[in-house]
Amino acid sequence: MNAATDSFVLKGGHVLDAEQRIDGVADVHVAGGKIQHVGSREAVPGEQVIDVSGNYVSAGWVDIHVHAYGTLGFANPDTVGVYQGVTSFVDAGGPGIGVLDQFMELLGHLETTLFAGAFIRPMGLLGLNFIEGNVRTLGEVPITRWVDFAQQHRDMLRYIKCNAIGDYGPGTLKLTKGLAQILDLPLYMHIGEFQLQNPEFLLAPEAFRIAEAGDMITHLYHGNLGKVIDDKGKVLPVVRDAERRGVIFDLGFGGYNFSWEVAEKAFAQDLVPHTISSDLQQFNVVRPVKSLANVMSAMMRLGLTLPEVIERVTRNPAKAISLTDRAGSLKSGLPADITVFRVNSGEYEISDCYTKSRKAEKQIEPLVTFKNGKRFNADMAMGQAESNWFLQIVEDRIPERASALSAAQRDFLNSLAARLSSTTWEVSNAERLDIEKALELQDMFHRERSAHGLSLKDALQAVYASFLDQPFTMQIGLLLVRLEQPFAVDRLRDVSGKRPLAA
Amino acid sequence: MFNTNASAQPPAADYAGSAQMTEQPWQQLGGISTDNTKYPARASVEGVGIVIFKTKSGFRGVQRACPHMQATMMNAELIANDTMVRCPLHVFTFKLSDGKGVNCPGFKLTIYEIKEEDGKFFGRVAN
Repeated sequence: MNAATDSFVLKGGHVLDAEQRIDGVADVHVAGGKIQHVGSREAVPGEQVIDVSGNYVSAGWVDIHVHAYGTLGFANPDTVGVYQGVTSFVDAGGPGIGVLDQFMELLGHLETTLFAGAFIRPMGLLGLNFIEGNVRTLGEVPITRWVDFAQQHRDMLRYIKCNAIGDYGPGTLKLTKGLAQILDLPLYMHIGEFQLQNPEFLLAPEAFRIAEAGDMITHLYHGNLGKVIDDKGKVLPVVRDAERRGVIFDLGFGGYNFSWEVAEKAFAQDLVPHTISSDLQQFNVVRPVKSLANVMSAMMRLGLTLPEVIERVTRNPAKAISLTDRAGSLKSGLPADITVFRVNSGEYEISDCYTKSRKAEKQIEPLVTFKNGKRFNADMAMGQAESNWFLQIVEDRIPERASALSAAQRDFLNSLAARLSSTTWEVSNAERLDIEKALELQDMFHRERSAHGLSLKDALQAVYASFLDQPFTMQIGLLLVRLEQPFAVDRLRDVSGKRPLAA
Repeated sequence: MFNTNASAQPPAADYAGSAQMTEQPWQQLGGISTDNTKYPARASVEGVGIVIFKTKSGFRGVQRACPHMQATMMNAELIANDTMVRCPLHVFTFKLSDGKGVNCPGFKLTIYEIKEEDGKFFGRVAN
């Protein structure tokens, strides 16, 4: 960064910073990628002046629930990060212990700071709605491996996630709580059964019972089985008890998880999320989530004031994931993660995840984001571009990106094809996913890349480039197991340039 | 109004014996007339509700509800040069050729071949 842009002042904006109790017009001085000072002060010589009068200025937004990685992720996760006012986000369950290495290799260099809310299952979230409840919930929990990883990559891990769904009782929740305690991390639980019609045992109340102070429950206002309100619309006592104990309630809007009716009834009884998160993913970015800003607008429509909304995307999430040493406020010395936004007035419609929508008169619109002082102009369309979320296996041709692969990568693909041709697998259907096979294919991948001395990243990119036009990242075993075996083998051989000619 | 219990039509000669397994016989569609101008449109095959799309390469039928969350496919849109159909609820996308989920592996949509003959619509399962 050159000296001219290294130091700047955001002049004349309305600053909202709950941590410093600032709610008024003030200047924000930045130098060397850090916040210098908030308040009126003479411009420093050489300091660039950026006029933001008429707009709001807050700490960069922190979204503790997105899906950047895996079968729900984006080709470019920054599109729902710094390009939409969000400077830090957490992947909620994308990676598990079996793929955290892949996750870090692939997504360690985004402009937006990405953390892992690691999933209890080794493979991470499988993403789609495989009905077999055990596949969606409980998996092996290799404690030693978890402890080793947490020691080496403490900073990456922000919580341990599990889903309070399925029909297998509370075992998953209790095991995940145990792991979270061992690792000294918060437990983060999804509530809301959106698939089983008539589970014997609803896990949402159990989630509220198990959670301790600092643990988090997401999808507070979902409208599926296991709501926070009873049939008469009254907030459940078990929810109140958890609130009193200091359990953190997260919004997690998502594609299934926000109901206007539930939200309005719960809000009328003062049940309010402590943190506002989007749950953005491939399957909800077009509608209904769109962006964290849209979710924030929904919360204003529900009845929160603007400062209350901003607090729930800055200070509160930063506290919830122990990030106050670097995010959530504009305090002097913190990284210059800043969001400039405005509140538009007009007529807007905000949909929930079902069929209901509400007319709104206010809309929050991010304008400019600074990440460690680096500027990003907001672009709300990038995230919605089909190439960013439509994960499609290219069947009829070799993706163009494959032509850029190195000779070493091609050799690896040829060996991988040989190894994959020694086994067989059935493509999964909606009821059944062969997770054991996915893990076996992943092992084959690792053995081959290790035999070739290829870096994890180069090996992953070689396989992705063989099947995908866009740079999506996904658990390698899941990518392979969802392909027809003969197609996968042929394609890898074709890309390697070593396919035997037909007789 | 067409009779939804119309008797089965014999398969056209073009299709007989072309596949290794016995193909479904053509059934006259109920609940729709060939005068219909607005698509997608609801119809039925032997009492089973389907939705008919008018694509660049002719009519194609799909099951009435998305296999994901059972949203009506009446709100789905044709994409990729009319070769795929996308449910708007969670953008689950299916190929009109074989019904396979494109971005949702494991999910499959039942697809119906549709033909127009003697001023009537006929349909049968394609996949």
